[in-house]
Amino acid sequence: MSESLSYFRKRSRIGAFVRRNPVALKELRGRMRGSRAFAVLTVYVTLMGLFTASLYLIYSASTTLTLTTSGGIIGKLIFGGVVAIELFLVCFVSPAFTAGAISGEQERRTLSLLRTTLLPARRIVIGKLLSALAYNVLLLIVAVPLQSLAFLMGGVTIEEVVLSIEILLVTAIAYGAIGIFFSAVTRRTLTASILTYTAILLTTVVMPIVSFILFLLSPLGGNFAYGRTVFESILLAVFWLSTALNPVAAAVSTEVVLLSKGTVILFTHRLAYGLNIPLISSWIPYTIFYLMLTVILIALTIRIIRRYGAD
Amino acid sequence: MTAIIDIKGLTKRYKTITAVDDLTLSVEEGSIYGFVGPNGAGKTTTMQVLTTLLKPTAGEAFVAGYSVTRNPRDVRRVIGYMPDFFGVYDDMKVWEYLDFFAACYDIPESDRPPLIADLLALVDLSHRADDMVDGLSRGMKQRLCLARTLTHDPQVLILDEPASGLDPRARVEIRQLLVELAGMGKTVFFSTHILADVQEICTQVGIIEAGKLVMQGDIEDMQRQLIPYREVVITLIGGADKAKDFLFAYEGVQVVEDRSADNGRSRLHVTMAGDDMAVSQLLAAMVAAEFPVMHFTEETRDLESVFMRATKGIVS
Repeated sequence: MSESLSYFRKRSRIGAFVRRNPVALKELRGRMRGSRAFAVLTVYVTLMGLFTASLYLIYSASTTLTLTTSGGIIGKLIFGGVVAIELFLVCFVSPAFTAGAISGEQERRTLSLLRTTLLPARRIVIGKLLSALAYNVLLLIVAVPLQSLAFLMGGVTIEEVVLSIEILLVTAIAYGAIGIFFSAVTRRTLTASILTYTAILLTTVVMPIVSFILFLLSPLGGNFAYGRTVFESILLAVFWLSTALNPVAAAVSTEVVLLSKGTVILFTHRLAYGLNIPLISSWIPYTIFYLMLTVILIALTIRIIRRYGAD
Repeated sequence: MTAIIDIKGLTKRYKTITAVDDLTLSVEEGSIYGFVGPNGAGKTTTMQVLTTLLKPTAGEAFVAGYSVTRNPRDVRRVIGYMPDFFGVYDDMKVWEYLDFFAACYDIPESDRPPLIADLLALVDLSHRADDMVDGLSRGMKQRLCLARTLTHDPQVLILDEPASGLDPRARVEIRQLLVELAGMGKTVFFSTHILADVQEICTQVGIIEAGKLVMQGDIEDMQRQLIPYREVVITLIGGADKAKDFLFAYEGVQVVEDRSADNGRSRLHVTMAGDDMAVSQLLAAMVAAEFPVMHFTEETRDLESVFMRATKGIVS
């Protein structure tokens, strides 16, 4: 028997947390097997490195200032560029992992096998989400050395780093949940992917445009004099709420508030007629909204899986 | 014997189709139950209800005393289910496949290696433990799937067409495995189209058609119920005319047919009523009457003839 058990010795050590969820463990094993995972990460880091280098070179070429005086700006530019790419990746990679999570099981006809085991629907959904999140975290971690270049050049605060990671993680979790929800609703991966990416494009492209228009209209844009405090307040609130609905606006407005008001939590804005309106930094409502959305979508997905076969 | 599967008035209706119609069926503990029926008869639907995958429209089903609707988790604990397709996960090794499902049944990580080794040995796949599941032959995949159903040591195995699409050798191997599993005390409830398999290994048979159970019992009982007469083939040396007259006059004989013969022999096919003793007495009477009997044998009636007689070719 010892011979037949030899294959167990080759098992890699993965965190106990993931090990407790067989679905997460299976997904990660499959994703990290062979040279594919290594190749994908290498290409990713190479492209990120090239992007960072080109940012540096473009900026250096366009300015006559010395490195010592422009270091802070270069640092911020590199940091902002890397975070922007990571945000783009998280927005589009997260749902790619989860949009086929349940529908793929349906297509392979393995879902019924899972449903006759003792594994509750809750653990299937969490496992799928956890494995997608783990891969996203890996992508974020391997980009840390590039982000750290920004620290060498200065100009980036610890708040910026922490909040960028926070927004990236919340986005990864929420967009993963959107993907898994549609994959449970439609039963076909292609349809699930189309629906998921439509939702993602709405929030990452359409919503930031809406936020920008609302910004221009709001008192913060400073382009219009409304003359009525109530109207002005409502426009401000609508703009602020819109930033909570998309990661781009949330990240940008958090950064703007940090730079202009020096805070990442509470601040006040003075309206034309002297009224001070208290506001909270956008990352907070963004986090609350997307985490609540995640919980709702996970609950709905679990409910859908439980109800398969009930009709 | 107690019924480990007990189905009472089970009905499953889809929008316009009634897949299972007031089905009542029971499977005795420790038996190998062959669930036979034409395509679309409702076999898979019945199995999906038993495995808690489908909710019945009406009626009740119990496995090991647990209701499939009220105690689905308890039912899942006592059943091992193999569907009529092989659910393949890409990028998975044979041992990982079993390890994954063992984990799905909450088997502690430390208990899994010896369990998997035992299961692979049982289905003769120990030498393929490190191979990818995709690379296995269909027969091997089927055996692996069977091993998967055993990870949590269930009392009842519910197998949907376990031998379909297999070559003769793989079919025999699966058949032997089922007998071995029954020997280990498991109840095997399986559906099939292959009547030879049923005849070979089943202790109980149920025939379903258009969602209704047509017959249930052991094969011999069914044969007696459906085909009450006996068929005997008699080979004689020389002409058969005198023998035919004798047989027509013999009590219980209903039909005598003259079948082709050669080398100066003749062959008669006799249909008669009566039990084993009546058949034996007919032979004795023919020998006593000095008919040159060379060969006297009762024609075996296989399950196919029982099946054809029991079913009408209706599909719901």
